[in-house]
Amino acid sequence: MSESAPVLTMSGISKRFGTTRALEDVSLILYPGEVHAVVGENGAGKSTLIKIMTGIYSADRGSMTLAGQKVSVSNSAEAQLLGIAAIYQEPLIFPDLSVAENIFIGHQDRGRIVNWDAMNDEAALLLAKLDLDIDPQILAASLTVASQQGVEIAKAISLDVRVLIMDEPTASLSAHEVNRLFQQVRSLRESGVAILFIGHRLEEVFEIADRITVLRDGRHISTTPTNEVTEEVLIQEMVGRDVSDFFIRTEHPIGERVLKVRSLGRQGVFEDVSFEVGEGEILGFAGLVGAGRTDVALALFGVAPADTGSIEVDGVSVRLNSPRDALALGIAYLSEDRRRLGLSVPQSVTANVTMATLKRYTSSIGLLDSIAERDDARGLVEKLRILTPSLSTPVAQLSGGNQQKTMLAKWLNVNPRILILDEPTRGIDVGAKADVHQFIDDLARSGIAIVLISSDLPEVLAMSDRVVAMREGQIRGIFGRDQATQERVMTAAVGTA
Amino acid sequence: MKVSPATGMNRGSGRLRRMKPERVKELTLIGIISLSVVTFGFLIENYLSGRFFNRVITSVVIVGILAAGQALVIITRNIDLSVGSATGVAAYLTGDFLAANTSTGPLVAAVIAILVGSTLGAFNGLLVAYGRIPAIIVTLGTLALFRTMLSLYSGGQNITADTLPDWVLQFNQVTVVSFGDFDIRLVSLVAVLTGLGLHWALARLRWGRRLYAIGSNPEAAKQAGLPEQRLVFWAFVGSGAFAGLAGFMFMARIGTISATAGAGLELESVAAAVVGGVSIFGGAGTILGALLGASLIKTLELSLVRLPQVSEFWRDAVLGILILVGVLIDLALQRRLSRRPIAAARSDSGSSPPVTVGEHSRASEGAPDE
Repeated sequence: MSESAPVLTMSGISKRFGTTRALEDVSLILYPGEVHAVVGENGAGKSTLIKIMTGIYSADRGSMTLAGQKVSVSNSAEAQLLGIAAIYQEPLIFPDLSVAENIFIGHQDRGRIVNWDAMNDEAALLLAKLDLDIDPQILAASLTVASQQGVEIAKAISLDVRVLIMDEPTASLSAHEVNRLFQQVRSLRESGVAILFIGHRLEEVFEIADRITVLRDGRHISTTPTNEVTEEVLIQEMVGRDVSDFFIRTEHPIGERVLKVRSLGRQGVFEDVSFEVGEGEILGFAGLVGAGRTDVALALFGVAPADTGSIEVDGVSVRLNSPRDALALGIAYLSEDRRRLGLSVPQSVTANVTMATLKRYTSSIGLLDSIAERDDARGLVEKLRILTPSLSTPVAQLSGGNQQKTMLAKWLNVNPRILILDEPTRGIDVGAKADVHQFIDDLARSGIAIVLISSDLPEVLAMSDRVVAMREGQIRGIFGRDQATQERVMTAAVGTA
Repeated sequence: MKVSPATGMNRGSGRLRRMKPERVKELTLIGIISLSVVTFGFLIENYLSGRFFNRVITSVVIVGILAAGQALVIITRNIDLSVGSATGVAAYLTGDFLAANTSTGPLVAAVIAILVGSTLGAFNGLLVAYGRIPAIIVTLGTLALFRTMLSLYSGGQNITADTLPDWVLQFNQVTVVSFGDFDIRLVSLVAVLTGLGLHWALARLRWGRRLYAIGSNPEAAKQAGLPEQRLVFWAFVGSGAFAGLAGFMFMARIGTISATAGAGLELESVAAAVVGGVSIFGGAGTILGALLGASLIKTLELSLVRLPQVSEFWRDAVLGILILVGVLIDLALQRRLSRRPIAAARSDSGSSPPVTVGEHSRASEGAPDE
């Protein structure tokens, strides 16, 4: 492989978002006819790297060389012209257009008048080459995700792609569909295309990749030929941080089991999920993005109810069909997606903190007691050390960490007994992180049962009394505090032999 | 329909399934129009007369042209609420010009009207495509702005028929060919030919297909490197041009033009397009459908007037109900066409709700930088 000249070289790439370092001095070389896998935890910088390659982001530092020539890519049209294309976990298709149109819509060289017959015939040939049984005239909306990805691969081939980036293409495919995809990938490799494969499932990475690069915290850790590395080594390189960097949870007694979940499932999303949480306990959920952790949380909060299994609160079987049901039982959920599901950012800090509890401030004739509202908000702002110019400042003006704390304040104001925290520290700075950790610990000590979902493995290990590892919608292991090592939990979460 | 080499037999290819959804919508509309004509024929004495047919056709012309332009914009997932005002401005300015230059012929007058309309459309297009302001806001603003400018310009003066060249008043009556009492008028022919021309362009020209692509999935359009801004800009110019042509027809039809000319036509054009199967969510629908939608609306409107039992006030309600029914059918069709979320697709069950929160969370778990 190394005898041929590299097709794409990324050298010394760095990228920051505000205070967050997404990539730091990362270099990567792609050879024609190789499948190069990039692995790493969530937040390792994989997505940022491919967004720089396709021109969605521009790097702060570093350079890109394509076939020996220095290039700069500032949008996806330019990337396409250079022969760089990307396929994502969720295919970017045009649902209202036919399959053939989806393949050829971006082509500039096919004249101004559409020749439907020629286009359909060429599309059919391309699809046949990929061994795909898809009618080119059918609407793309009616295809399965796997077929839509097939269409995207056909599109890439039709554009004479030199570098094909595949960002977790197997995430929503069945085993059979993955096999077919891999056949397509191999035939692309044989035709000399360089494939950058981003994958979460290590077994798949080992099956398809020629070389594997590990990223961690935005840095390049290693690049090794697949046959010279073991899964254990990879996992160690992926996690690599020390738990002792984190706030360590204080010891405390755990009380009655308040929440019992038995064989919970939602079709096609997660299945057979069983666990219990006690008063004052922090139960951590580790796993990769898409493992189904958030879906379990949404079922417990009644947003997307489970369709099998049972939930017991205080020993009583309950049905949770809406967040109202959940809140009435003292279950609160801090969403991972604060802008979309958690906060109303144009509104004030006070309005956000009291959003879920307005009833408490409403008098019998329906008027709001805004003084009481502000008093409660002020109390929480002080308790959580939310840095805000005033209580009436729109939340949009606060930093990410303070927004996160505001959301936490909103749910604390509910006085929950069971608090589900979904990625409570993602995207916030170190100082705010420590505050949030301290605070979670305080909450647990006050007797609240806490479910902590986090993709930051050391954080889960440092904070939790017990750790649940999920993968592909199922629980793959529950570890006590003394058994939960990074390697064990990670192994259960990525699913190696 | 041609069967391609890759067509799988296991795909259960019934003829209806193979038929494009827009064909289904168009045929359905033709069916509904025929059905209502027959029904009214029973209810109203002397309904199927040539005179009435001619009246319907000439009034469909204006709304039909506007609906065609509106469809162009709606297909890109935008909307143009200013077309009624643009029609008024084009009609008035053209009339004004004709009153001052009575020797001007119809062709030059039409070109002037179209240029006026295109200019107004370009203004909308600039703000929407390059200013990145939502179309509904921009065109709601220009709806009022164009109208106010027209009021100021006119100073409350109407343009009256007697100041216009003689051909104007006869223009609407020019008949290309007659079948007994049934006339094919020049205006109808122009409208149908323009509409079909646009229909063909959207179906067969590269830029037409790209308009659909933009409306169908703007994010994917960007990724595919389509010149999204330029295309949206020209869609608005096109809508303005059609409003200009409608303004010309309006002037020729009414003769007297006030500063309120064309008011309310924006609603009718949106209604016609949506009833005609143009998806308000962008990406789907045809010009032929929009023309049929306009025909249905006008047929119902003019027929209901002749039913003594139906109060005049019901006419607007009928329009409103038709829009709602159109949107509901569109929604149902989309669900049918299994535009399903990834989460549901994985479980391979077709009957899932269109959007689940789980899907949001999955999409957002990767953003913004992992």
